[in-house]
Amino acid sequence: MPPLTHKPRIPNPHASLLASMSHPIRQSDLNGYLDEALAPEEMARVELALRRDPELLKRVEAIHARRNSGMYSLGEIWRQARLSCPSREQLGSYLLGVLPDELADYVAFHVELVGCRFCRANLADLENQQAEAAESAEGRRRKYFQSSAGYLGRGR
Amino acid sequence: MPSGRLRRPVPTKTSQLLYPAKRQLPMSPPSQSESLLIGRIRGGDEGAWSELIARYEGRLLAYVESRVGNPAAAEDVVQETFIGFLTSLPNYDRRRKLESYLFSIAAHKLTDHLRREGRRPKLPLKPEGASSSGGWEPPAQARRASSIVRSGERRAIERAALESALSAEIGRFRKRGQWEKLKCVELLFVRGWANKEVAQKLGISEQAVANCKFEFLARLRAAVRKQRLPEEVFPELYEESS
Repeated sequence: MPPLTHKPRIPNPHASLLASMSHPIRQSDLNGYLDEALAPEEMARVELALRRDPELLKRVEAIHARRNSGMYSLGEIWRQARLSCPSREQLGSYLLGVLPDELADYVAFHVELVGCRFCRANLADLENQQAEAAESAEGRRRKYFQSSAGYLGRGR
Repeated sequence: MPSGRLRRPVPTKTSQLLYPAKRQLPMSPPSQSESLLIGRIRGGDEGAWSELIARYEGRLLAYVESRVGNPAAAEDVVQETFIGFLTSLPNYDRRRKLESYLFSIAAHKLTDHLRREGRRPKLPLKPEGASSSGGWEPPAQARRASSIVRSGERRAIERAALESALSAEIGRFRKRGQWEKLKCVELLFVRGWANKEVAQKLGISEQAVANCKFEFLARLRAAVRKQRLPEEVFPELYEESS
């Protein structure tokens, strides 16, 4: 068993944006945008570009039409199915600094450079769970339950 | 009100010809606890519903909040997500992981919210002057496949096959500790980076990136052939290296 010595790196939230900024908007960026799957700063970058460039909007419409025909790229299928996302348990271990070094390095890569929005959300939630007072979370959950419980049992 | 039980698709003669009876591999099998929880929720168990909310609301809120500046509005989107989950429960595919399904509903609700705010463009259901295929023309290599009538069921089979093949390859990289190869193909296919960019970022040669891409695509093609699917439906597997 390799020594568990890594110190958890706080993922750099801007790494994926910094890597993308020197390049025009890629097709994969537009795919991720449609899925609300890019890191927030990259979503904002694409949104700004869409307002300025009508040709870019046409490309988004073409992707939309392609998807309506049932065709998806490898990257889209990969991202939508979250095939390489670490598990929530692994993300928790990452924050605790108890993952093996190579796996920890991959988690940082996946969160920072790939900019996986879903893994970032899980990391943020895990960090918040430690910080947040139990009462405020309970109040919010009670609100969700009360507004939705009427729909329970309709699916039978 | 439709029953909560999923109906199995009836195989057509064409699909039986092209896709001989073969067990369709599950997408990403959910855990037993997830399956039990869903079952209890389907039965109207309020405790189970409360448990699901407690389990997932934090990560859904973090996901939405990252795009919506207003915390109250973010909570509203998450609220709509939970309601959307319950109303869609009769159609929920048990093979799909619960977290991924909830995130996809949240993405739709978030998109709707951002469109109402004017931050996201509205996309036409069908582009102007579009044909019945939706106005999208596949690249040349795929035109032969697209001329075959491909039902929604067939497309789902094809997608599941490719997802299964991708998952197997990614699992193989992980099991063997081939993290550099995993990073390489993730940057190439998920982020859409060119070979040169990937090489620079990972500190390896462009030839190494090209070799990694070639091997990855070759293994995916082999997996697709094993599923006895026509090669033409996955044109991306046959694109030349860039």
